[in-house]
Amino acid sequence: MNQKIKQGLAIVTAAALAFGLASVSTATAANKTYYIAYQGPLSGGEASTGIDEQNAVKYAAKLFMAKNKGITIKVVSVDDQGDPAVASTVAPGIGTNKNILGVVGPAYSGATIASLPYYKQGGLVLISPSATRVSLTDPASPDFGGPVFHRVVGKDDLQGPALAKYATAGVANAKVFIFDDQSAYAVPLAGFVTSGLKKVTGASVVGTDSVPNTTTDFSPTIAKIKTSGATVVIYTGYYSQAAIFIKQLRDSGSTAIFAGGDGVFNQEFPKLAGNAAEGSRVTGVGGLAGISSKLEADFKKQMGVSSGVYSVESYDAANILLEGIKAGKTTRALMLKWVNAYKGKSVSGNTIKFDKNGDISYGLFAGFTSKSGVLVNTGIIK
Amino acid sequence: MFAVLIDQFWSLTIAGIALGFIYVLISLGYTMVYGVLRMINFANSEIFMWGTFGTIITSRDLFGYTQTSEPAKGFKLALVLLVSLLMSMLVAGLTAVFVEFVAYRRLRAKGTNRLATLISAIGISIALQELMRLLTHSRPVGAPRVLEKIILSEVWGANIRLDTVITIIAAAIIYFILERFIKLSRMGKAIRAVSQNEDAAKLMGVNLNRVITTTFLVGGLATGAAGFFYVTVFEYTKFNIGFTMGMAAFTAAVLGGIGNIRGAFFGGLTLGLLEVYASAILGTQWKAVTVFIVLVLVLLFKPNGLFGEAVQQTRA
Repeated sequence: MNQKIKQGLAIVTAAALAFGLASVSTATAANKTYYIAYQGPLSGGEASTGIDEQNAVKYAAKLFMAKNKGITIKVVSVDDQGDPAVASTVAPGIGTNKNILGVVGPAYSGATIASLPYYKQGGLVLISPSATRVSLTDPASPDFGGPVFHRVVGKDDLQGPALAKYATAGVANAKVFIFDDQSAYAVPLAGFVTSGLKKVTGASVVGTDSVPNTTTDFSPTIAKIKTSGATVVIYTGYYSQAAIFIKQLRDSGSTAIFAGGDGVFNQEFPKLAGNAAEGSRVTGVGGLAGISSKLEADFKKQMGVSSGVYSVESYDAANILLEGIKAGKTTRALMLKWVNAYKGKSVSGNTIKFDKNGDISYGLFAGFTSKSGVLVNTGIIK
Repeated sequence: MFAVLIDQFWSLTIAGIALGFIYVLISLGYTMVYGVLRMINFANSEIFMWGTFGTIITSRDLFGYTQTSEPAKGFKLALVLLVSLLMSMLVAGLTAVFVEFVAYRRLRAKGTNRLATLISAIGISIALQELMRLLTHSRPVGAPRVLEKIILSEVWGANIRLDTVITIIAAAIIYFILERFIKLSRMGKAIRAVSQNEDAAKLMGVNLNRVITTTFLVGGLATGAAGFFYVTVFEYTKFNIGFTMGMAAFTAAVLGGIGNIRGAFFGGLTLGLLEVYASAILGTQWKAVTVFIVLVLVLLFKPNGLFGEAVQQTRA
């Protein structure tokens, strides 16, 4: 019932937003107002991911407006709760609202697939910071999002092998235990890690588990890890669970190497896990390599909270759209063309460019190791 | 398949008992309210979640512990733990009384039907959760390590850890005190009287409103204690933890026979062990399936739960 009420609210909010926008579209010549949207889970159990991403989009808009007086950017919140069912009810309103020039998102692959028909029809360009499912940029798949879909995040089939390699680096005859959080992000990624491990000499999978992402008691999983004699443990879920898990693993006396994917790649992870996180290995998109502490401090000052999951990806995605607005691409058709031909710098200095299927050109992953409470970049995983 | 169970039997059993005791205390919140009102307090899950923050506030803000500070020792340790426990109980107890005032009392006075109260309880539980989500910026909150997780001894290959031992012993004591309170105290007798026959109790001069408020308070105190143990063992909380834990505790209450305090005890422990064993043998993805199949089977043969009776009453 809880979920239903929330869904109802989401629909009403989205409708109100869509109608509200139509009435305020008459911008004055002196101060032009443009709309971009963020789509992701903004309420419900997945809300933290969406709010982190949206904060980064809002931050980018704030910086842009400070630099470009006379242009007002409004970020329209599209709450799909990360749920395809909800996405298919909010997407039509956004698809037909021509004031919206581009979307950062959707955050989740499932919600993206459900939204795509409406955005393709409306010619609305999408840049997702976190939808990693392989089929989204595979022209042979019915889920293919071209020409409107783009992403500034690496695909699962690149990350899986990179994570497998990084987790087992320097471990002879690695015995690997893999587990996921049952989410649509984690399960496929665990599959690609497993296939990636086959190419690592000497490595073998000694056990697996699949743990709901609301779990806080990991003792059964840890019992399995101990029985399996694993020397490397790979988790494909998110940082908050990873932090709880790694504490319990270390408290159980295990010294196995812990590794996680870009869901764990968050500076909150070592903060939450404390000393237990030390030495943990995490993969993140190569382009994010050197995030500066100065930027983070400014972010915290402007937004009131520290940056979170996929913040940098969301920030980069928003900037592509904002630069387009500055360059006068103020119709959807012009914006779509702009993004397709885009060549610019990410916040970390890498070149951002999309291939013909919407994938980012630098989809290589970097390895990060937790040292004294901070995830430190150790370079691109080759 | 059973290799894990055999190899790690005692580790799993201890973990299951500790988890089970947390369930026991939360189920008391459900079962006591059900006993007197014949209604499920859907907000109990959020009362638990608010309770967990009582411990965080105490250790982090009151005593200034951080993620990197050294664990407490000796007298200081006992002090911080005790104050944390009391704070969690206080926060959850007050939240429970608040829920009673806002979502139950007025509707009860108006004599509205049960569905209205059900909806108001769900409403307040959503409000409590969303309020905490906004207060914490939707972020998980890590608890500083106050209690060092020392391995006390190894028994049959299982690590007996200090935090689990404290949880099991302290939770058992709190349960025992509550049980005695219901059985022996004047207020406890009044609670049982209302549970058995509301009208007769009223005629005998029992102040109904006071009994109901006390029931919510006591249920909230137990649920809050669960919040303390949860944070002590898992060192973590988040605005949305209530649902999973509340659902499990409610299941435990039904398994044991809702409205029955001893039922909550056995239901909670059974569920804790069942979850841990099922996860270890079949894989954690089978946990929910196993637990609910067992619940359905129990209810098929004992429709009122393991300790339930045809007429359900709050019994000590």
